[in-house]
Amino acid sequence: MGALRTEEFIVNMGPHHPSTHGVCRLMLTMDGERVVNVEPVIGYLHRAIEKICENRTYPQCIPIMDRFEYVTSMSCDYAFSLAVEKLAQIEVPERAEYLRVIMLELNRIASHLLFYATTAMDIGAVTPFLYGFRERELIIDLFEMTCGQRLTYNYIRIGGVSRDILPEFVPQCRKALNVIKGKLSDYQGLLNENPIWKARTKGIGVMSPELAIAYGVSGPNLRATGIKFDLRKDDPYSVYDHFDFDIPLAHNGDVFDRYLLRLREIEQSIKIIEQALDGLPEGEYKTKIPFRFKPPAGEVYSRIENSRGEMGLYILSDGSTKPVRVKARGSSYNHLQVLPEVAKDCLIADLVATFASFDVIIPEVDR
Amino acid sequence: MTKDELKNYIDTHYQEKMKFLDTGRFDLMYEVTKENLLEISKALRDDENLKFDFLCCLSGSDTREHFEVIYSIASVTKRLRLDFKIVFPYDQAEIDSVQDIWPAANWYERETWELFGIQIKNHGNLKRFLLPDEWDQGYPMRKDWDAPDFVRMPEL
Repeated sequence: MGALRTEEFIVNMGPHHPSTHGVCRLMLTMDGERVVNVEPVIGYLHRAIEKICENRTYPQCIPIMDRFEYVTSMSCDYAFSLAVEKLAQIEVPERAEYLRVIMLELNRIASHLLFYATTAMDIGAVTPFLYGFRERELIIDLFEMTCGQRLTYNYIRIGGVSRDILPEFVPQCRKALNVIKGKLSDYQGLLNENPIWKARTKGIGVMSPELAIAYGVSGPNLRATGIKFDLRKDDPYSVYDHFDFDIPLAHNGDVFDRYLLRLREIEQSIKIIEQALDGLPEGEYKTKIPFRFKPPAGEVYSRIENSRGEMGLYILSDGSTKPVRVKARGSSYNHLQVLPEVAKDCLIADLVATFASFDVIIPEVDR
Repeated sequence: MTKDELKNYIDTHYQEKMKFLDTGRFDLMYEVTKENLLEISKALRDDENLKFDFLCCLSGSDTREHFEVIYSIASVTKRLRLDFKIVFPYDQAEIDSVQDIWPAANWYERETWELFGIQIKNHGNLKRFLLPDEWDQGYPMRKDWDAPDFVRMPEL
């Protein structure tokens, strides 16, 4: 009998695949179970947000930016507002900055809980999915109470926030934080020492620090490789310098580290929110900006740290009511770009684990 | 290094190749000529005192007068930020690829090519990815391009 003839073959994963979280398509060149090459195919969710913004006034851009990265809409609103405030040199009242920080950090926790839920499910554990969504609900309720929306908030505006918090917000927020704080050990208890989880995540999808920097990887994915870089500390914005918090760090750069780092970041976010609630100053929640708002001509690239990494906005203004160019930079764009390098020569099941641990969100890639 | 120190450093070491622009409203903004792009990018990355190893963003732009490509770079180790841009007329829309210096530029350049029609020399992977494969209606991010059924919002 002659030798078996073998050849590489192509597997089409997505665009509608449960583990791609949206409509991302991965063209896999396979050698048996082993991935030889990954080619991400994107654009299924391209809505031309940047072009739409060119035809809107600055305040009208904010609801559009909500759709840029809808899991952490608050950070998109904030990134845009901050860029315009830098452009026009607007002073924001301190109470507004505190409210923004509270909302941004609540949104970070909600996003990390969603990560915990879906990543564990992609790797095959169903209970975390239920747990993550259960506690995320508490935060979404707080947002709904404040701005009436559960997903696209349109809450942070140029010069402040759209409305003040209700009196019952603070006690309900503290209650929610206490619940989440108590559940954190449950989350880790489910997975950290679980032999199946460890076998599926430790030493899988390892990214080196050099590769991460070369490809512009940021956020928890960068910190999991041992580089301590967080814009909240290293290029401070808003009132983050008023609070005492740590930046969790890991060194292996594998799936397990990326998962654990996000859970540890939740603890730090809770710490920030508690300090902000304690020190919440009285006063205005918004600066008045004119109806025909015209920032001076000029350009700015401003960046913030959202739950996935660096979110940047480049805005070019010619002094009129509408921006000439808005470029939205999402960290998922870079994280998806580095995937072929990280996933080379891994098993197809590990590719799913690696992809899930990057916490890529497709609308941020396609815009 | 503070912003002023960075400006002094650039002005002394890269004076003839980088022109300071006063349009930057927060970080420093410079202009680099097309011919010097690769040389300056490499120098900024390899300079021991700057180490601009992180490409934040690469963005094309149509200002109604000419094209611009803006490079927003940062240094993770030195905690620095800088922008520079190259400016060129519509009929010379071709630039060098900076992929060899910052691999992250690959998709950003691909997008710039796809949406603005700016040619990227030595890119090697110029394939459509945001627009449909069969797209033949020009370059949508240019200012003279409007979508069918597009209604311009009235000026306030």
